[in-house]
Amino acid sequence: MAAEDVYRQEFPVKGGDFAKAGTVACRIKELLKDLGLDVKTVRRAAIAAYEAEMNVIMYAWQGRMDLAVSPEEVRITVDDQGPGIADIELAMTEGYSTATPEMRELGFGAGMGLPNIKRNSDVFHVDSQTGQGTRLEIIIRTNGHKP
Amino acid sequence: MKEKNFHSIHITKDKCIGCVHCLTACPTKAIRVRDGKAQIIDELCIDCGECLRVCPYDAVHSHTTSFAALDHFEYKVAIPSTVLYGQFGAANLPTEILSALRRGGFNEVYDLSSICELNCAAVEEYLNEHPRPRPFITATCPVVVRLIQGRYPALCGQILPIEPPREIAAKILRTILPKALNIAPEKIGIIHITPCPAKMVSINSPATLNKSYLDGAISIRDIYPQILNALRKSQEDALMRHLFPETQFSGIGMGWSLSGGETRGLKNHQAVAVSGIQDTMRVLDQVEAGLLQDIDLLECTVCPDGCVGGPLEVENRFLAKSRILQLVAAAGERAVVDPKDVSRLYHKNFLSFDHPVSPVESRPLDRDPTKAIRKAKRREKIFVDLPRKDCGVCGAPDCRTLADDVVRGLAHVDDCPFVKKEKR
Repeated sequence: MAAEDVYRQEFPVKGGDFAKAGTVACRIKELLKDLGLDVKTVRRAAIAAYEAEMNVIMYAWQGRMDLAVSPEEVRITVDDQGPGIADIELAMTEGYSTATPEMRELGFGAGMGLPNIKRNSDVFHVDSQTGQGTRLEIIIRTNGHKP
Repeated sequence: MKEKNFHSIHITKDKCIGCVHCLTACPTKAIRVRDGKAQIIDELCIDCGECLRVCPYDAVHSHTTSFAALDHFEYKVAIPSTVLYGQFGAANLPTEILSALRRGGFNEVYDLSSICELNCAAVEEYLNEHPRPRPFITATCPVVVRLIQGRYPALCGQILPIEPPREIAAKILRTILPKALNIAPEKIGIIHITPCPAKMVSINSPATLNKSYLDGAISIRDIYPQILNALRKSQEDALMRHLFPETQFSGIGMGWSLSGGETRGLKNHQAVAVSGIQDTMRVLDQVEAGLLQDIDLLECTVCPDGCVGGPLEVENRFLAKSRILQLVAAAGERAVVDPKDVSRLYHKNFLSFDHPVSPVESRPLDRDPTKAIRKAKRREKIFVDLPRKDCGVCGAPDCRTLADDVVRGLAHVDDCPFVKKEKR
């Protein structure tokens, strides 16, 4: 695919910045609407982006979300410097969470984050180094059939 | 008549001086200043009235029903928003206000608080029967419905499909009055009295009905002097009237116009009330990102504090709110509607939408995805070179919108006074 057919944008995300929670996901959503993607694709991307952004805010020190949109797919790559995920398989289980009681009080950390990203994407990879950071790769195809 | 893109909000060109107040206040960035005058972009305007609130020159006009337009009705009925009860201080009871309104030129006047209670019971029944999706969003505020259609299309299916009290009341009256009065249905005019410019939009181009049951909406601002006059003339009568209350006001419905009032009567469901346009958009963004699924019902009203903060009311909203709270306290939990009646109407689909809310056409940068991507890139490039002062001098509300207009072919980068200066 020609490089000029891909829209790329980077968004920094700061760990612990709950006040800004959801702003990157919102920017991504608005952008996808401007690009004319259909309602379902935009919603799936919005949900996945929100969960990914929240993971950085809740657990990491800092991170970055890279968006790449082509007519065929929306690709969101999230890189963070943080504690990493010790057991990825366990983290992918619905309801599993390492959120602190304070986070839960704020309504976060229900253990639905990663499973929810998986549910709303067509391709989802998680790579993590304990003590260093996590990389998420999310692909949502614009002709995707998931609800 | 169902009109496409009907709007209540208009700019009076003669009064507009082309300043930036409305530009920056508009939540959907629907206003541009061109040739020294504000212009509204039809597809983006949701008739919220924020521009009307901030215009210092009275150049924003809301088109509501005039008294003259009622002349051709043989029988005129008014159903005022409960906001009206908060407009005339503590000395005037709702019964007196209704009777003053009747003397202002209506054959009959009906209180809406009982229908508000009915609506709440029907909403509860709907929530009982529909465990998913969550949260549902109430359909009372026509601006919220329009906002969802345009900006949150994924949430159209989450609008709870029960008509708001004003339409239910009008539908009931339309069913019973022609027979009771022996007057042809088209000779009976049913008019809402409202603090809200957008009610006119929901009447002229309803989002959920084939045709509105209302014939028009008169703004509280327009009818206020007549009611005040009638109240003054009849102080003696009013004293007597206190002793024979005519209407049974519903305690559950009385506070409907205050944020949280719509959902106060819910017994078994968790509701959250949001008011104000910015906060409503913030919460709808969250719902679109999949949040708030543990909430059953989301009540959104774009005016501050609920309908009581509508731009076309007269009393300052804090006094109006305080007065309504007194009335709510006085009425207590009094219920005036029989739940069995509600259930019967509900199961006859008498209270339901005619059709679901559908998204309005979106406005991508280009219909061709490849071209849209190129335009988005160009837009970002243009934006980085703009001063980001968001001064509005170019005619767009902020630099980001100017960049957007440029790639859509609606503006030129040179419209920015700072860009020009640097070039010279």
